[in-house]
Amino acid sequence: MVELSRRALTVGAASAAFAFATDANAEGVVKIGAIYPLSGNSASAGNYEKMAIELGADLVNKGDPELAKVLPLAKGGGLSGLKGAKIQMVFADNQGTPAAGQNQTLRLITEEKVVAMIGAYQSGITLTASAVAEKYGIPFVNPESVAANLTERGFKWFFRVTPVAADFAKAYSAFLKEQKAAGRKVDSIALVHENTEYGNSVASVIADVFAKDKLNVSMKVAYSANSTDVQPQVLQLKEKNPDAAIFVSYTSDAILYAKTMKEQNWKPAILIADDGGFNDPAFVKAMGSVTEGLISRSVFAPGKPGSVAAICDALYKKKTGGDGLDDVSARALQGFLVLADAINRAGSTEPAKIQAALRATDIKPEQLVAGYDGVKFDDKGQNILASTLITQLRNSQYVSVWPKSRATSELILPYKGW
Amino acid sequence: MTTTLLLQVVVSGLLLGAVYALFSSGLSLIWGMMNVVNFAHGEFVMLGMYTAVVVWTAMGGGPWASVPIAAILIGTLGVLAYFLLVRHIMRGPMLAQILGTFGLALFLRYGALWVFGANFKTLPDDLVGHSFILGGIRFEGSRVLAGAVGFIVTVLLHLLLTRTSVGSRMLAVSEDATAAQLMGIRPQRMQALAWALAGAATGIAGALVATFFYTSPTVGETLAIVAFVTVALGGFGSVLGALVAGLLIGVVESLSAFLIGPVYKDVIVYAVFVLVLWFRPQGLMGTT
Amino acid sequence: MMTSRRLLQLAVIVVALAYPIVTSGSPVWQRLGALVLLAAISASAWNIVGGYAGQVSVGHAVFFGIGAYAAVVAFVHLDLPPILGAPIGMLLSVAVAVVVGVPTLRLSGHYFSMATIAVGELVRVLSSTSDWLGGAQGLGGPAMPRTVFDLSFVSAMPYYYIFLAVLTGLLGLTWWIERSRMGFYLRAIKDSERAARSLGVSAGRYKLHAYMLSAAFTSLAGSLYLCMFGFIDPESGFGILLSVKMVVMAALGGAGQLFGPLIGALILVPLEELSNSLLGGQGAGITFVVYGAIIVIIARFLPSGLLSLLERRPHPGTKAAPANPNPASGHAD
Repeated sequence: MVELSRRALTVGAASAAFAFATDANAEGVVKIGAIYPLSGNSASAGNYEKMAIELGADLVNKGDPELAKVLPLAKGGGLSGLKGAKIQMVFADNQGTPAAGQNQTLRLITEEKVVAMIGAYQSGITLTASAVAEKYGIPFVNPESVAANLTERGFKWFFRVTPVAADFAKAYSAFLKEQKAAGRKVDSIALVHENTEYGNSVASVIADVFAKDKLNVSMKVAYSANSTDVQPQVLQLKEKNPDAAIFVSYTSDAILYAKTMKEQNWKPAILIADDGGFNDPAFVKAMGSVTEGLISRSVFAPGKPGSVAAICDALYKKKTGGDGLDDVSARALQGFLVLADAINRAGSTEPAKIQAALRATDIKPEQLVAGYDGVKFDDKGQNILASTLITQLRNSQYVSVWPKSRATSELILPYKGW
Repeated sequence: MTTTLLLQVVVSGLLLGAVYALFSSGLSLIWGMMNVVNFAHGEFVMLGMYTAVVVWTAMGGGPWASVPIAAILIGTLGVLAYFLLVRHIMRGPMLAQILGTFGLALFLRYGALWVFGANFKTLPDDLVGHSFILGGIRFEGSRVLAGAVGFIVTVLLHLLLTRTSVGSRMLAVSEDATAAQLMGIRPQRMQALAWALAGAATGIAGALVATFFYTSPTVGETLAIVAFVTVALGGFGSVLGALVAGLLIGVVESLSAFLIGPVYKDVIVYAVFVLVLWFRPQGLMGTT
Repeated sequence: MMTSRRLLQLAVIVVALAYPIVTSGSPVWQRLGALVLLAAISASAWNIVGGYAGQVSVGHAVFFGIGAYAAVVAFVHLDLPPILGAPIGMLLSVAVAVVVGVPTLRLSGHYFSMATIAVGELVRVLSSTSDWLGGAQGLGGPAMPRTVFDLSFVSAMPYYYIFLAVLTGLLGLTWWIERSRMGFYLRAIKDSERAARSLGVSAGRYKLHAYMLSAAFTSLAGSLYLCMFGFIDPESGFGILLSVKMVVMAALGGAGQLFGPLIGALILVPLEELSNSLLGGQGAGITFVVYGAIIVIIARFLPSGLLSLLERRPHPGTKAAPANPNPASGHAD
């Protein structure tokens, strides 16, 4: 019985693969499915990611002369490895629920006959959506979900480009130890996190890494996301007054914390906000003036003029009408480019060949939009060269300040706020 | 822990509670007058908040401009909702109310997403003036304003219902529409008036909440559950009950978040709510 | 008359059985069939207490979530096939129904609804703080099927037939209750609890029994959901939207009627899936604008649900009187 279901699985996958290959080639179009939260609570992030991926598809299909100098994939005219086949993105809304994520992934694979998938922002949805892709034998590239278990499932078709929570935690730890060595007081650290999947997973990893590295997390404050009020938490912080505070929050709560900290007139010497809501362009625009000197992490920093990152940032600004690339959109664009590069090298739309090309991926840092050390997948499908930068908010714009080798500006402490 | 700090927590809770009372008063009025639970109430608040955002971005107007505009707009929306939808679903079973107003909620919430986009909007935080310190306790200007208006609106609604002839006619309709009709009161007119008042109060609430809260299409979901609990706790048909319940919930929330942990504050609020209903099935100030 | 009715019944049975075979060329349509049935199971389960007994619970996700978590816990902590958690989930749900029902079923009308909302939210928040239940991250079922008992299939066909069997059983049971003494008492309680009490009906007991039964089957739906989707988190297990959807589905078709929830599911689930498929990718939330508008229109014109359309037809002139099976009353006046 076991044998039976497994065989049915492979047969199904193989025949499906065959059907897709012919279908896509016939039209000179490569269809890629993208599943993102386009409605619901995370719609803001999802729509930014959608625009980043659309930009990526435009780079391959139409090209950009300036970018082509540093990134051959962007010379236009489609995928050179597939006789100039154009990439066609098919977007679907996961509505913020794992069920919709799975239903729509199935539709993209079986009805739209996409040759590969990209998505799905929330870790829980990435989990259910990639399970469908795995059953059908379709490569699933995940640019941004950080839950550790995603790459522990023994999947063969799952590839994650982003660094995971442990990488962030290690970066914070190294950063804080450096501050300590420089003579700043880091004896007590508060860890404030929202209580859904994102905040919980990141905070627990931070706590573990810090404990190992002998950094004292003196208080942990978990709160429910989308609170109506965060004053009690801020008052608690004000009472204990830790040397450093780390926030793991979505946009809605990030806005409330920034407002409430000003209202209650409290600020720590070092304020770290783990990406999430604090990197949302809406947050930066609205709250930038009262969070000067906020430290965050990001895989993105605009970098030197003429670099891949700088050019993509400018193009993205043009597309969105003002908002530059941020951590989330840069990861989405990077994920897409990794996938496009693999399909190009595969020279085929056959899923198995794309999978093999993804496994052989080896992209150098100067070819990247995101600030990784490169892209190279291990057996589990995790990008082993993924890493993160630490950034600081200056005049409502994030600049990279750590590690030294990648910093574009000097770190300024203590936190200024308003 | 100092007494000042604890007092600060209580004050924050009271201000929060007054705001809860403010955005619950419209729901309470409708529930009390017509025994209708408006599942789109949170979306009414949300639209009031967007009104304030639009008034600010389009003409740079603060609450003095946005509050009356929101009152008129959302009041009109209430009347429209009554004539186009609620009037008809009242003929059906109670379930039709959930069906119809839930559909309306989805329609409004995602209509807002369509029109305003998914991005979070905020108003500049000095729009209402800065915070001030009184006896060592900080008061945030925008919250004090919202809380005070919440208090005033609730008391005015209460006085309207209990002390004026319009109020007694409205109550007559709510008690027995047929009997009221025999006495020459037109029930539909009274009910439409109730929806207009509820909408206006809700619009005012939204415009004021927007001064210290973020605005997004889904924000109504966050606020609606609080409003439901506030009204049910206060008791059927009692606008004043909603005020008391709002203050109680605000303080319980603040204290439990501060003393026990923010994750558990909702658990404690819901537990208090279920417990109160266990001893007083008609809510704190409701009549059976 | 009799034969045409028989024919119709036969046609429905044939369509229901043949659907996944006819749609086997399209996994999406096949899966849609399974999704409709799953939604119909939970809405029909809700119907027992919400429709027949008239106790509008807006917190039924509590039982759905218990079922889903029981199944996933059986896998994660006991290494069993998830479906073996289903009976445990059902028992637990019945126990929770007693604990919740005894205090809340005394409440009347909207108070009961609000109390069930509060209980639902309470359980959702608590579940997200429990590491054993995977906290807010949730828990996943078997990533790859180990044996067929894991009920993890590529095709939706097996799910379809499993759900169809469960739904048939549930509707059969509901049909039996409808005609039993309990059904009679429940209707009496729904019409007027005071009157029913004065006639010596133990209203509290019957309401509680309906609540317990309803909880057990909602929980089963949750376990089946977990088998199909392989993942559960607090929001998709205990979320308020889930509770409201059960109510809306039953109310749309016709609450308190045997096939009401199924009709509601047949309309709403395809509407939701298709509108998301057609419009969702544009990313402006138009899906739900359409979805919401259609619900509003149905509520506006058919406040008693779609099945009320059929009811009216045999009595054109009369004022929506319920069909009376007793011909003797025909010449009463």
